[in-house]
Amino acid sequence: MSTLHLLSHSPFGDDRLTSCLRVIGAEDALLLSGDAAYALQPGTAPFNVLGTRGLKVFVLAEDVQARSLPTPDWAEAIDYPAFVELSIHYDKVNSWL
Amino acid sequence: MKFAIALFSAAHAPSSRRALLFARAALAGGHEIVRLFFYQDGVYNASGSVVTPQDELDMPRQWRTFVTEHQLDGVVCIAAALRRGVLNAEEAGRYRREAIAVGAPWELSGLGQLHDAVQDADRLICFGGA
Amino acid sequence: MPKSLLIISRQSPWSGSSAREALDIVLAGGAFDLPIGLLFLDDGVFQLAAKQDARTLQQKDLSANLQALPMFGVEALFVCGDSAAERGLDPNTLSLEEIQVLAAPEITALIDRYHQVITL
Repeated sequence: MSTLHLLSHSPFGDDRLTSCLRVIGAEDALLLSGDAAYALQPGTAPFNVLGTRGLKVFVLAEDVQARSLPTPDWAEAIDYPAFVELSIHYDKVNSWL
Repeated sequence: MKFAIALFSAAHAPSSRRALLFARAALAGGHEIVRLFFYQDGVYNASGSVVTPQDELDMPRQWRTFVTEHQLDGVVCIAAALRRGVLNAEEAGRYRREAIAVGAPWELSGLGQLHDAVQDADRLICFGGA
Repeated sequence: MPKSLLIISRQSPWSGSSAREALDIVLAGGAFDLPIGLLFLDDGVFQLAAKQDARTLQQKDLSANLQALPMFGVEALFVCGDSAAERGLDPNTLSLEEIQVLAAPEITALIDRYHQVITL
């Protein structure tokens, strides 16, 4: 069984991303939404961790666009129809509320 | 594919808008939403008492329109709603409160409705927090 | 076969109604005889600290509800060992005796085992 982990809090000053990375499985993926997209800010600790972990990373396109963030080649920007499809592709969605 | 969608954040939280856009995309993709369940601060999304400035997104109105248009099952957790003063006419009468904040298409009910939706759906998707 | 649901509780008992409302989901599931698991993660492990005094803060005592979980048919109780250790809690002195202490890879496997998950 695989899990899509959904984050929406900024990785700066919040431990959700750290906890998520501790328990995320090899078959799982990460979807960054809202302020969690700030994890893609180049040169930061979250950016470096995500870039080197070899995880499947998705981000909501509207959130990188609004924040003027680059999408690195190890992440994929998606729209809402793709979000729906991802939630079906993975067996469950774990939203870190 | 059958979705249960649970919302935990207040109407002005960005995650509430994301929940609505996800729900719209799910229906547009030919999927079914077995129930929308509003819990914790999510109950504010069902409130008819929210006044949104004209140049901002009126989430309670958007939800109301969406649920009505698609005849969805929209359930607001009764315990969470009482705690936050989001009462329907029946509860306002029961607790002798003046303000009535929720009406159709919303139904106030218990957490059993969340579990029931989880059992019925293929996927539970929760939105909340930031 | 009913679908199983894992609740991951991440908030301290004193941070507002979040811990209680997470527990309410668990208790409601237990009342319907559904297969429910409860994992305490991050600050959620503080719910398990011994000798807390809710009256000081004019709160209801959450730990009494936690003790009642097995009576509600909720016996799948887990705590993240790393979260407890980081917060200076000895897993042997937690207020729930029947709880299983899990390492990170075991939590990955736990999430995998359940049909759906809610992290609060």
